[in-house]
Amino acid sequence: MDLDTDVPMEDVSDDQQLLPLIGKESVANTTTNAGALVNDKKDLHPSSINQLDEWIEKLSRCEPLLETDVKRLCEMAIDVLQFEENVQPVQVPVTICGDVHGQFHDLMELFKIGGPCPDTNYLFMGDYVDRGYYSVETVSYLVCMKVRFPKRITILRGNHESRQITQVYGFYDECLRKYGSATVWKLFTDLFDYFPITALVDSKIFCLHGGLSPMIETIDQVRDLNRIQEVPHEGPMCDLLWSDPDDRGGWGISPRGAGFTFGQDISEQFNHTNDLSLIARAHQLVMEGYSWSHQESVVTIFSAPNYCYRCGNQAAIMEVDEQHNRQFLQYDPSIRPGEPSVTRKTPDYFL
Amino acid sequence: MKPVSRIVTQQDLTKWTESSTLDDVLTFVVDLQNLVEGKENNDKTATSETLLGILLMKLLDATDALIDTNPVEHEKDVSRFGKIEFRLFYDDVATLDLSRYLPQVPTTDAIEELQTYYGESWGNRQRIDYGLGHELNFICFLYCLKQLEILTPSDYQYLILKVFVRYIEIMRRLQKIYWLEPAGSHGVWGLDDYHFLPYLFGASQLSGHPYFKPKLIHNAEVMEEFHSQFMYFECIYFINNIKTLPKSTEKLSIRWHSPMLDDILAAKSWTKIKEGMVKMYKAEVLNKLPIIQHFKFGSLIECPEGIPEHSDHLEDECGHVHNQAANTWGDCCGIKIPSAIAASESIRLQQEKLVPFD
Repeated sequence: MDLDTDVPMEDVSDDQQLLPLIGKESVANTTTNAGALVNDKKDLHPSSINQLDEWIEKLSRCEPLLETDVKRLCEMAIDVLQFEENVQPVQVPVTICGDVHGQFHDLMELFKIGGPCPDTNYLFMGDYVDRGYYSVETVSYLVCMKVRFPKRITILRGNHESRQITQVYGFYDECLRKYGSATVWKLFTDLFDYFPITALVDSKIFCLHGGLSPMIETIDQVRDLNRIQEVPHEGPMCDLLWSDPDDRGGWGISPRGAGFTFGQDISEQFNHTNDLSLIARAHQLVMEGYSWSHQESVVTIFSAPNYCYRCGNQAAIMEVDEQHNRQFLQYDPSIRPGEPSVTRKTPDYFL
Repeated sequence: MKPVSRIVTQQDLTKWTESSTLDDVLTFVVDLQNLVEGKENNDKTATSETLLGILLMKLLDATDALIDTNPVEHEKDVSRFGKIEFRLFYDDVATLDLSRYLPQVPTTDAIEELQTYYGESWGNRQRIDYGLGHELNFICFLYCLKQLEILTPSDYQYLILKVFVRYIEIMRRLQKIYWLEPAGSHGVWGLDDYHFLPYLFGASQLSGHPYFKPKLIHNAEVMEEFHSQFMYFECIYFINNIKTLPKSTEKLSIRWHSPMLDDILAAKSWTKIKEGMVKMYKAEVLNKLPIIQHFKFGSLIECPEGIPEHSDHLEDECGHVHNQAANTWGDCCGIKIPSAIAASESIRLQQEKLVPFD
């Protein structure tokens, strides 16, 4: 039986002698007793749990972590994420979420609407950073939750979880602003390489950020990819993070300049081949927060309400219960807590 | 010769940033900026008409009229991205005969070059978006006129206070009517969705102003009242009108949607802002590969020496170059984002539909 890594702290401390540590301390302690445990790599030492809980509490107030803590967090996260699969298996019940884009307060709203983690299992389909005000806090929070409750939350990679994209669309600027250097940006973008690129919910719902690739016919082919790298400019991994469903049939050139558009025929064929009931993806703004395409063989979920503080869209998440019933929960922008708390920093040009 | 883009790799960019061509273009921008210092848009002496100025205004009027002849017809189209009729407008601009408007231009070659920069000034045909690279093309168009010695410093004030202001006015119409997407948006972290130069020239207009201090941009009423006199205020007024909360009449503060504009206020004086804008324009526009990879060189704006011609450097359907190791697709056609105009417009339409039963 797998150990439940999400057990409360007191349960963990009962076995703490058996549990190896994560992070730097683990180097000294992992050698003994490791063989007695399944999944030992994912178990947390109480001190790590305390540390994570402190960070989570701090982040809940929308306060960024110290740079040294981000470094430690990313090391811990690599230890978890590197053992996840390209097609990470996920059990029902689970709540599936789309783009967040640094809208931290709306992410908190999401957890209010969907129920707190780890009581509710979550699957996020990427795009945590860029454009919004609080990419640093958002991605720090989600990564903390991932390390703290590795089996309760799955975080996939979106096309924005990339060095190139974040240099253009805000996350890089934001890290410079909040930390005074690019160190934190480097730590997170290095971590992004380890994020799984797709998930499979109960062998039936295929979840990913963008969409399908003409080079991928079966889910097994995704398993064969080497995902630990920067998002490439082309090829299957790029497509999975960039493609969009389209009303036109077949494959089309994407106006985005990366990935493809795919029609209903493609989606139906893929679902049939892989015995799927649904492809769930994010990547596109939809006014109601979710949108069906291809006769309900594909659903788009977008979880950033009033995107970029102006688009007026609702956000949504999709609950899938044990019987595979689906329910969409929609929500509006959170009440804004006054002025943003980002420190003012005059661009050097104006000094 | 028809101008073509040449900068592909980081090495090319370095050659460009160290070139006299860049210096010359930047010097031109700075000269224009200096000559509008302390001048309002409707300053009588500064805007006395020049022959070239009148001709350019006619050309802009003709361009503006092409918006009216290409109205948006697909109102049912619920896409929140650019309206496809923009392409008809774009194609019509390409057919404007510049030699009719600018008879002083000596050769058809020169006309062709001017035509290229002028055509590129309005946005990207395929993607239906607009960004700082397109704005830069309008400056290149004017710079070519200077190179041809048709434009002289005596035209500069009129050129900015009237011609450039008119260009921005048309751009606002294009952005509103065709829902142009912001190209390469940095979201909340950028200076502005579309423009840079109105801030650069606008700060100069306000430099030394006796009582309009930078912090005044937080006063929406003042922005509304003076937006037609100062370019900087027009930008703030425009943003104030489109960046709103859904289902609310409450205005969002600049601190929320445009933190950089707020951060700049720490510079204290418009003179500091004026100088900072030039430094920032050089670093964030003229030195940036995602923008400069589209910069076009011909005989009036010559490509710096030592930049190779990349034979495989062909722009594809989306108007961009892909499959280049040093290229950065995400920087250019990356991620679609609805324009703020599209957003506020569709909110308005939604609200209009909500007529209560009575």
